[in-house]
Amino acid sequence: MDKLILNIIHRPEMVPEYAEKVTGHGKAEDLGRKALLTESLDIFKTQQECAHKNGLKTTIQMTYASLFNDEAVSLAKEHHEKYGDEIALTLLGLPCEQFRQKYKTKDFCIWMFSMEDKMAIVDDVFGKFYERFGFYPESTGSYYMDAELINYIKGKYPMVKCAVATCWEEGPKAYHTCNNSWYTFMDGGPWAPWIPSKVNTHAPAANEEEDSGIVAIPHLSRDLIACYDGNGSNFGTHPQNVLRGMIYDSKTWEYPYLYNLIDQYRHLAKYNNGYAYNMMFVGPGWMNKMGRWEAPYELLLKSYEDGCAYYGKLKKEGKLVDMTMAEFADHYRSVKSYTEPECALWRDILYGSDKQLFWYCDPYMRACVNMDQGGAIVDLRPYAAKLEWPVGIGTPHIQDASYPFLIQEKYRAGYFTHYAGEGTIRSAKICWNGEEIDLCLCRTKAHFSQEGKTRRLTLDPVEIVFAGGLTVKVQTVVSFPEGESVIQIERKVLESSDPTAQVTINEYMVGCYGTTEYTEDMSSLTLSLRTGEDVQTLPYEYRCRDLTAPGADEAACVVPPIRTRVSMTAEGADKAGYVKEGYAFSPMFTIGYTGTLREKEGFTTWLKLERAN
Amino acid sequence: MAQAGKGKLNYRCPSCFLRELDIDMFFDPDKGEYYCIRCEYTGTEEEVRKANELPRIRYKDMHKRFDFDSMDD
Repeated sequence: MDKLILNIIHRPEMVPEYAEKVTGHGKAEDLGRKALLTESLDIFKTQQECAHKNGLKTTIQMTYASLFNDEAVSLAKEHHEKYGDEIALTLLGLPCEQFRQKYKTKDFCIWMFSMEDKMAIVDDVFGKFYERFGFYPESTGSYYMDAELINYIKGKYPMVKCAVATCWEEGPKAYHTCNNSWYTFMDGGPWAPWIPSKVNTHAPAANEEEDSGIVAIPHLSRDLIACYDGNGSNFGTHPQNVLRGMIYDSKTWEYPYLYNLIDQYRHLAKYNNGYAYNMMFVGPGWMNKMGRWEAPYELLLKSYEDGCAYYGKLKKEGKLVDMTMAEFADHYRSVKSYTEPECALWRDILYGSDKQLFWYCDPYMRACVNMDQGGAIVDLRPYAAKLEWPVGIGTPHIQDASYPFLIQEKYRAGYFTHYAGEGTIRSAKICWNGEEIDLCLCRTKAHFSQEGKTRRLTLDPVEIVFAGGLTVKVQTVVSFPEGESVIQIERKVLESSDPTAQVTINEYMVGCYGTTEYTEDMSSLTLSLRTGEDVQTLPYEYRCRDLTAPGADEAACVVPPIRTRVSMTAEGADKAGYVKEGYAFSPMFTIGYTGTLREKEGFTTWLKLERAN
Repeated sequence: MAQAGKGKLNYRCPSCFLRELDIDMFFDPDKGEYYCIRCEYTGTEEEVRKANELPRIRYKDMHKRFDFDSMDD
C-alpha cells in the first residue's frame, strides 16, 4: 500500500521571524528581551508536544541562537533519546545578539551573504553545533541553499545528507504580497524532494557526476495550483499559512482545505510509482501568543494541533510513515533513480473550478501543462542547461535565486488577450477557411499513464467549431520520455463533420527568458531553421521578421543568457517550419511548424531542451 | 492627536488582501477606526471582520472535503 512519507521539522528560534516585530511594536528593537526568548522556547515546546502526542517524530533544526541556550540544547537531547527525533541544524534563525555582534549585519538569509561570509557562518554554526552536541548534523537547510553553499557544506561536512533547499514558487508573488519588501526570489524549482546538481540547486542531478551529495526537500508542500497563481505563503502544509490565506470558516474555525491538501499529496503516489511526500515546517513566529494578524493565538494553536492530529491519524491508519530528514534522505536514494521524474496531475481543491494542471520535473526540465487551456505548456524551465547562477553579495544575482523560464504565463502573458503582441505559451491553432482557433480556448481534462519509461497525458478530445460550418474533434497526447529532455505532443483529428475537409495546424511556442515579470534584453538570441544541411539564421534585433522553410527539419532558438537551446521538430503532412522574431512591444520569439490534417490523421512535434555552448 | 497603534488583533487591510497584499492596518483611537497605510481603506473592527469574508467568496470549495480515491485520472 502506498504511504505518504512525512517530515515534520521544528526549530527553536530564539528570536522568531515576525515575533520581534509583532510583539515588540512600539518598542526599540531588542533581540535579547527576556520575554521574547522565553516565549520562543515555549512555542518550540508546544510544537514538539503536538507532534509527539500524535505519535510523530520530528527533526529538530537547531538555530544558531538556540545553540547558546542551555535549555534548548537539553530539550533537543532529551527528545532525541525519548522520541527518536533527529538533532539537525538550520541556517535559518541566525539573528541573535551573538550573530549581530560578530557579523555586524542584519542580513539573515544565508544564500544572500557573500561566499566568504557563507563559509565563515557555516563553519561558525557547524562548529558551535559540534561543541554543544559532540557530533556534526546530518541535515541542514534554509529557505534556499545555493549550489556553491551546498558544495561547500558537503565538502567540509560530508555527513550532511539532507537539506531544506527551496520554497516552491516563492518569488515575485511573495515579494508583491509583502508590498515589495520580501526578497525571497526562488521560483522555478521542484515542489517535491530531489537531488540537486552541483551547478544549480534547482536543477536535479542527471547522474552521479552531477550529484551534489544531498537530498533536498522543499520548505513545505504547496498547492500546485493556488501557489502557482497566488501568494505561495497562503497555500501549503503549514496550518497557519492556511489561516493567512483566510481559508477557514471564521465562525467554526474549520479548514477542510488543509486536509484536502494533505490528501492530494497522498494521491500523488499514483503518478510516482507509489511514492508520496509531505513536509510541515512551521516557524515559531507563527504561533505567537499575540496572535498573527486577525488570527488569535487560540486559532493558531488549534490549527497546529489539528494538523499534527490529522497526520497522526493517517499514521495510525497505516497510510503514513513519519521519518526524520536523515532517514528520508536514505529512503529517497533507495527508491529513486536520477532520471525518474516527479509527476503531479494536480486538481483545484479550493476555487471550485475543476481545473487541472500537470507538473513534470526531471533533470532536464520543469514543465506545467494546463488542461484548462487545451494542454498548453504554460511554464517551462530548461534544467538541461544546468545554468550556473551564483547568488549572494558579490555575484550578479544578489537576491534572485530563481531558475529562469522560457515560458511563464503569469509573468509573460500566456494566451494573449489584447490587441498587440504575444505571450509565452506552447500551444497549437487549428485553421480552416480563414478561421483560426487556438486550443488554449478548449477546456479539457487529462488522464495519466506510464508506459515503460514514458509518462503520458491523454487529454479528453475537444471540439473545434468553425463558423463556416466545419466541426472537428481533436485529441492531444503529451508524452515525456524519461531522460530524453523532450516533450512530445501528438494531435489527432478523431472526427470531422466533413471527412474530406483539410485543416491546417500551427504548432507554436512563444518564448522569452527571465525570472520576473519584466522583459530582458533579447539582442543576443538567435533563431534558426534547418533543412538538411541548409541552415537559415535570424539574429534577434527586434525587427519583427520571420523565416519559413517547407520541409524544415528543425526550428530553434539559442538563448545565451540562460545557456539554453530550445528546438522543435515535427512529423506530419505538408510540414513547414518557421521562426519569428519579436519587436519592442512584444519582446518574444516564436518557433513552430504548420502542417495539414484530415480526419483520422495526426501531427506530432517534439520540443527539445539542451544546454547551448 | 496621538499617534496610531496596533489594535488588540493585528488586522490586515481587507481591500489590499483582495489584491493579494498583506498590509497591516493601524488603529486611530480618536476616530475609533482602523486605516490602511497603503490604500484608502478605513473601517471599524466590525466592518473589517465583515470585509474579511469577501476574499472567501473566491474559495468556492473551502468547506468541501475531497475523496481522491474515487477520482478518475
